[in-house]
Amino acid sequence: MKLENENDLDNFIICHKCFTLHEEVAIADGSKACCRKCGYILYRYDSKLIDYGLALSFTGLIFFIIANFFPVLKIDILGSEQFITIPKTIFSLFENQFYIVGLICLFFIFIFPLMIFLINIMIFSMLKLQRGTKLTKELLIILSHIIPWSMADIFFISILVALVKLISFGQIHIGISFWALMVFVLIDIYITKNIHISEIWMLRKKVLLSKDKD
Amino acid sequence: MIEVDESKLIRCPICDAVNIDKGKKNRCRRCDSAIYHHRNFSTEKSWAYLITAMIAYIPANLYPMLVSNAFGIRDESTIIGGVVILWEHGSYPIAAIIFFASIIIPVMKFLILLYLLISVKYPLGKDKKVNKHKLYYVTEVVGPWSMIDVFVVAILAALIHLSSVEILAGTAATAFAISVFFTLLAAHAFDERLIKENR
Repeated sequence: MKLENENDLDNFIICHKCFTLHEEVAIADGSKACCRKCGYILYRYDSKLIDYGLALSFTGLIFFIIANFFPVLKIDILGSEQFITIPKTIFSLFENQFYIVGLICLFFIFIFPLMIFLINIMIFSMLKLQRGTKLTKELLIILSHIIPWSMADIFFISILVALVKLISFGQIHIGISFWALMVFVLIDIYITKNIHISEIWMLRKKVLLSKDKD
Repeated sequence: MIEVDESKLIRCPICDAVNIDKGKKNRCRRCDSAIYHHRNFSTEKSWAYLITAMIAYIPANLYPMLVSNAFGIRDESTIIGGVVILWEHGSYPIAAIIFFASIIIPVMKFLILLYLLISVKYPLGKDKKVNKHKLYYVTEVVGPWSMIDVFVVAILAALIHLSSVEILAGTAATAFAISVFFTLLAAHAFDERLIKENR
């Protein structure tokens, strides 16, 4: 294999799942390229990725804020009503001296999901404004470090499991946050699974680095 | 013009950029992060995390996960105990989910990581057609799901704390959370390139 210089390697991509080397080809708007060996999606091309990304990140952030301010579940036990919000779940762990579990929960279900959305908003708005070559790089590196640790989706499934366990205790009411969290999790899954980090890097190269040369 | 051997190309674990393997001092040309710098002790970090996780998994199964106080009657249940109770009460899907998340997934992860770590050092299962990349990918995807039990306990403990009826998290919750945390670290620290070299 012969290359002009090292940066020509940008035209290649290695499959995330099976490590097969592929050469990147131009594909139609809105379509995706799959690995020839295992079928895993390598990259997509979407000319409106910045706008979609920005819109989804803002929507997700709004739902995340709603999900944190209202009760997730309410329960009537023995005539008294109890409710939980997401921050209250984490704080009650600290109150009961479960500091390690509390910290893990605080980071996995609150700080990291929030950071992902804030960073996404910053990256996409900077790409939109065509500036911040250095900052987007730093943000993208942080982003790829925290994505595997964000567990909002798992927390949502945990709520469902907890619901079943709670049936014998009393009357359960589902709060506003539950639905907000559901929407948030769906957006979160869509963003982390559908917008690969390598696509944002490619976009950054196209938008920011080509501008620097002019 | 430079000549590059295709098998010398590696993927940056941070930004997915394709890089030329230059041996010890690999730095990604795009994001400038180190690509598995620790060549001389390539698997040791992963081993250390994995052993920590396996040690933490023992108290996680022995101590109670959930302590419930109902009208003065104290009831403690371990992870397995919780699954059995749920099964007896007839909530089979939930019992299955908890069983999968807290028993099958962690144990499977331990075994797969052990196998991968051993097989990159010694030619184990080389003739058999085991797709190690796929195994690694599976552990990475299903790994975080074992946190379900910890989150459930956190929710129950936060929701039910009356003077007469109370649910508390048990010692096992901490041990289990630590165990899962370290298996995740072990999986991330594992050098995917080693699979390729040993194939």
